[in-house]
Amino acid sequence: MDKPAPTHQTKTPTKPEALSREERKKQLEFQKEAVVHLHSLYNYALHITMNPDDAEDLVQETYLKAYRFFNSFERGTNCKAWLFKILKNNYINRFRKNSKEPGKVDYDLIKDFYHSIKDTRRDSSEADTDYFHSLLHEEVYQALHSLPEEFREVIQLCDIEGFTYEEIANMVDSPIGTVRSRLYRGRKLLRVQLEEYARKYGFNTGKDQ
Amino acid sequence: MNCKTARVLMSAAVDGEISFKEEKGFLSHLLECKECCDEFDDAKKTKMIIKERIIQFKAPQTLIDSIMQLTDFNTRETEETLLYE
Repeated sequence: MDKPAPTHQTKTPTKPEALSREERKKQLEFQKEAVVHLHSLYNYALHITMNPDDAEDLVQETYLKAYRFFNSFERGTNCKAWLFKILKNNYINRFRKNSKEPGKVDYDLIKDFYHSIKDTRRDSSEADTDYFHSLLHEEVYQALHSLPEEFREVIQLCDIEGFTYEEIANMVDSPIGTVRSRLYRGRKLLRVQLEEYARKYGFNTGKDQ
Repeated sequence: MNCKTARVLMSAAVDGEISFKEEKGFLSHLLECKECCDEFDDAKKTKMIIKERIIQFKAPQTLIDSIMQLTDFNTRETEETLLYE
């Protein structure tokens, strides 16, 4: 980003019906770099808004903004991380202002949400006798949502989206050390929750007295 | 390495975000500390569960279409004609 990019300074085309060569190049690059992450963005948006319409709006808005500011995307860096950061900012500005009080988990909402979209799920069919594999998607989801947001967020970004610590640190505006400890504590909390479920179904977690 | 340091490195070890030198110290601590060793296994397992059990949803076609429109070429040009123009 330190070098000026003179190609971006080209004048707008005189013919209104034809897109400039620059604009077409930008579109092409945008498709290759940004549009390929559409499913990931939608998935993440759906998990944080828990509402398909809101998720669509959020993704739509994110891509509009991303396209507008695509020249400021640092080439060679992870475009998916860049898009997620835009999405997160949009989410904070738009949705969090008028949301429910923080720290309160609405289990009914999670349940409804999960049931409403369950039929589209992609099931893994491993036959593992391990008690954790007896857990339902819904229960894992509920456990994840029972975590304070700061923990849930890093777990989602790391374990589901596969971002590096550096990328996550940039997205949540915290040092890498913070990401590391949030992941450590978050996974521990999650483990406790999951064991609760497992115990409920009579599986021996090995932690009973 | 003591347990405190091992726990600081725990998530980084799970996620492969640990340096070679740190990993050496971390693993040799696990060999002599059952508690940390168990915790490491638990953390790895928890990560696996999240990866496996959280459903990944695909964007609906309407959304795909509208995003594609954003970058739709107004001309009939293909990628090749643009590249070799």
